[in-house]
Amino acid sequence: MTPGTRGRIPPVLLVAAVLALCVAGCANVPSGGRVVSGKPVERAEQVDDPYVRLIPVRPRPEWGPEQIVAGFLAASASFDDDHKVAREYLAGQTSWRPGLRPSVTVLSEREPPRLVKQAAPGQATVKVTGEQLGTIASDGQYRAASEHIEVTFQLAKTAQGVWRVTGLPDDERAGLLLTKVDVERALRPVNLYFFAPDQQTLVPNGIFLPVVDRRTLPSQLVRALLKGPTTWLYGAVGSAFPPGTRLRGAGVVINKDVATVDLTKEAATGSVERMSAQLSWTLRQLSEIKQWKLRIDGETVAPDGMASTQPVRAWDQNAPDGVDGQVSQTAYGIGASGYLSTLDGRVPQPVNTGPPWSLSRPAVAPDHQEAAGLGPKGDRVLTAAPLKGPVTPRTLLAASRRGARFTPPSWGRDGLMWTVETTADKSWLWARQRGRPPVRVSHWGLSGREVRAFRVARDGVRAAVIVDIDGTPQVQIGRILRGPGGKVDVGSFLPVSSELLKAKDLVWRDYGTLAVLGQKDSDTQDLPYLMPVSGSAITSLGTGSLGEPRTITAAPGMPVLVGTRTSGLNVVCKQRPTRDQFGPWVCDIPARDPTYAR
Amino acid sequence: MTAAARAAGRAAGGRSVNALKRFTRRGLGTLRRVVRGAARRGYARWRRSIQVRIVTWTLCISAIVVAILGAFLMQQVSSALMDGKVKAARLQLDEGLAQVQRDLGNSAEDGTGRLDAVVNRLKARSGPSGLYEVYIRDTSDRYSDGRATNELREESVPRRLREEVRHAPTGSRSYTFGKLAYVGGDAKPERGLIVGGKSGQFELYYLFPLEQEQKTLTNVGRSLAGVGVVLVLLLAAIASLVTRQVVIPVRLAAQGAQRLAAGRLEERMRVRGEDDLARLARSFNDMAANLQDKIGELEDLSQVQRQFVSDVSHELRTPLTTIRIAADMLYENRDTFDDPAVGRSAELLQSQLERFESLLADLLEISRHDAGAATLDAESLDMRDLVLRTVGDIQGLAERKGSKVVLQLPGEPCMAEVDRRRVERILRNLLVNAVEHGEGEDIVVSVAADRDAVAVAVRDHGVGLKPGEGQMVFDRFWRADPARARTTGGTGLGLSISREDAQLHGGWLQAWGEPGSGSQFRMSLPRVAGAELRGSPLPLVPPGAGASRPLFAELEAGE
Repeated sequence: MTPGTRGRIPPVLLVAAVLALCVAGCANVPSGGRVVSGKPVERAEQVDDPYVRLIPVRPRPEWGPEQIVAGFLAASASFDDDHKVAREYLAGQTSWRPGLRPSVTVLSEREPPRLVKQAAPGQATVKVTGEQLGTIASDGQYRAASEHIEVTFQLAKTAQGVWRVTGLPDDERAGLLLTKVDVERALRPVNLYFFAPDQQTLVPNGIFLPVVDRRTLPSQLVRALLKGPTTWLYGAVGSAFPPGTRLRGAGVVINKDVATVDLTKEAATGSVERMSAQLSWTLRQLSEIKQWKLRIDGETVAPDGMASTQPVRAWDQNAPDGVDGQVSQTAYGIGASGYLSTLDGRVPQPVNTGPPWSLSRPAVAPDHQEAAGLGPKGDRVLTAAPLKGPVTPRTLLAASRRGARFTPPSWGRDGLMWTVETTADKSWLWARQRGRPPVRVSHWGLSGREVRAFRVARDGVRAAVIVDIDGTPQVQIGRILRGPGGKVDVGSFLPVSSELLKAKDLVWRDYGTLAVLGQKDSDTQDLPYLMPVSGSAITSLGTGSLGEPRTITAAPGMPVLVGTRTSGLNVVCKQRPTRDQFGPWVCDIPARDPTYAR
Repeated sequence: MTAAARAAGRAAGGRSVNALKRFTRRGLGTLRRVVRGAARRGYARWRRSIQVRIVTWTLCISAIVVAILGAFLMQQVSSALMDGKVKAARLQLDEGLAQVQRDLGNSAEDGTGRLDAVVNRLKARSGPSGLYEVYIRDTSDRYSDGRATNELREESVPRRLREEVRHAPTGSRSYTFGKLAYVGGDAKPERGLIVGGKSGQFELYYLFPLEQEQKTLTNVGRSLAGVGVVLVLLLAAIASLVTRQVVIPVRLAAQGAQRLAAGRLEERMRVRGEDDLARLARSFNDMAANLQDKIGELEDLSQVQRQFVSDVSHELRTPLTTIRIAADMLYENRDTFDDPAVGRSAELLQSQLERFESLLADLLEISRHDAGAATLDAESLDMRDLVLRTVGDIQGLAERKGSKVVLQLPGEPCMAEVDRRRVERILRNLLVNAVEHGEGEDIVVSVAADRDAVAVAVRDHGVGLKPGEGQMVFDRFWRADPARARTTGGTGLGLSISREDAQLHGGWLQAWGEPGSGSQFRMSLPRVAGAELRGSPLPLVPPGAGASRPLFAELEAGE
């Protein structure tokens, strides 16, 4: 050993010690350390959320005609492999091509098929009866139509000795006969976005789309969008895609969060920006797409001022809630002393000088220049302008029929003020452009019913109403069609949800949700609910006592306010903390009839 | 393809195919050569170097050990991962089954809607999609085979698990591994863990994709492989270092021994430290010292002997001179003796005295060679002249014996730096030998020269030499026929001296012979005195003679 190495730790021992330390450190799960924080995953309801599929069974050889029909009807609820299993129930020559977007007859419940006739030894006729709830057209539009239906199937025994369907009912040739449960399982409500007449705001067009598998969902969605609006919104909205535009190749290709939408050359004449806006808003319903690219005939195109790869969250200026949808705004209400007041703090701050206003259910114009409201009995519509001046509200409309009342006025973003004059069995819709007298809308789809509330959506195309259907207040949505020559048609009202039994007041919270005061089956008093216009399940809002709620107001990104009456006092309730859906209601603002301007 | 078509195709593409074939063959040949060369070099290194062998063995053995260890570790990691997954999966299944039972308990929904309600709740509990899939079956439902979440196909649940679950009592849980298949065009099946249980009429399966686990295992495996390779290389490097420590002294010892063998007796190894190698060095040095002593002693002894022979020769010369004078006198007066026997004795004395003198001269010459005292008195001479002169000298003797000397001389001069006296002595010796053993046959003397060397070969056709005698003829006092009287022939030292003379020139003297075919002696000398001789211009075996045995003789003689 040389003298130099003497007295040092032998390197082998050193290495062994270091290795031992390393191994001891690596082999353990950490028991301490710094706090790691992250953002919550966005859990908005997405089209591609987990879903459930029905697994069909193949026809058994021992089954009789009734069982074959029952099996066929059950199997037709499965979209796997283009209805391969359901096709096995058919005789070879029977043509039945439901495709990816079939028309659907929705039954409430399927009764067991009945064998009605066995003509020859190898022939049979089977009847199926049921209560139809409605139909879904092949464009995805649902239309409620309650009736009792009866369809017949022809069956024959094949050479192999098994029963097969040879004749389908007429309206089954290209469609399906599904129960409500089947539809809920196999079809999914999605929104397609089209431009409102102002060419700026996008309007969601809710349709039912079969979920075949999540991989083809983007292509299906885009194909549906290219087909244009459904019959419900047809004419009321416009699409930026030139007619004949189709999706090229295999459809939408998704590669690492980036989707590529390749359109045929017809799209070259359309506006890239407007098409991009429609596609962006439609594709953002799919959680796996974060960015996307637009191609026309294989060439990547980019909208002005943007990269070719655009995020799906772009195009906020075309939001259905309007550009100012996300801007913080002031809530108004009638203070205890009768003045129109702002409700920002705990104490209402009066806005107008002069004498107190004697009006209820105020509505402030989006430009904050005018306010409208109802007279004390609800039979007059009053307006006051300007807001801050010492003015007295003047009568704009007075009920001309006996016992008629007005619904609280509703301002559209275009400055139109809407209100419905209604009696117990008739109603009339009024619209007023500022500076002009009110005009009765010539085509009003609910003229034969009592209307309790009328609210026009921020996109100016849709309107939500509470309408009395056979004594039950029901929430429905209609569309406003502006025909040539200024003719306005408000109609095509469809029920949104059957979950709420009694609706009292409603307001658009945002383009996809209504805030409704009403009662669910087990409620004993009115409570605020959020009702998606897609028809999905409603959710309750907030916890705690609300007293006796009377009015509700909401705006995108703003807290929902409920005007209520507790122990003889009018107070406005607000959730604290405001962002939490189940935050408790705190009723401490002494005011009534809260409202947002936009 | 028919035969005709094949033939046509061959004709069309024949040339290019042939060119390609040739090219390929050449390339393959080159490759084979390169590989073979590398293998040979590698094998040579393997045989020659302990270090290479030890490093290779270390590499092999440590690679095997690391591989076994890695496999074992992977097995452990994989089973631990799977255990955890299975445990979590069974807990999940328990929860799901409890949910199914609760939902069955309050059967608010009726008919077909019930299953949907149950699976919807289970789906809602499955969290973000991709974590697991659920497949539920209502055994009492004839018209559907249950419900599955997302794109899961019902075949994903293997038949064996279904059978197991179907026949198992309520409450038992089973699991297996399988492939999860999905609906949709290009969805690939992936490996998964499938747990299943039964609750009443419901069969519930949870299917967990093992993609993440596979990824983890792949990563771990890659890391292990990387670490293993590094470890094996490290071990090889360590082995290389360690063997270097051992091999370098051994190599030094080998070099020392080589030098010692080459005659550098003062060569010694350096002794460092006190370890085994130091002991080896010390032993080596001791051995070298002993050898040096012994060789020194032997040298001294042989010196003494040589000196003794030289001294004896010198000492004998003085009395011999006297005896010579007396003998000469007796010889001249032999006719005067009355008794003819005395005259005959005088003649005998004279002849033996001559012989004794020449013997003494040869002894002196050879002792001079032994003592290293022989010096070369070189001058540039034509070998042809030397040969002619020597042949002229022995012409008489040859004629007496009935032999004819045939000369084969080149046309141009064969100049070489040689000692005239010594070369003449060699030639005379060879010619006399040839005449004496030539049995009266022709004696052929050939001379040849090339760039570096000249050679003289003397060929006789006498009795020849037996195998092994080609070397022995140069031994001192060696005789082809021991029975032959010493009266004939030379002193028995002539060829020894000749060889010493040739070697003094840096040349060779070699003999070839075959019984019955005669013999040939060849002298090869460098043209420049002292230059190294690489070859001879003349063959040792005469052309036309011998087949296998002469070759043997040549090999023997060449050593």
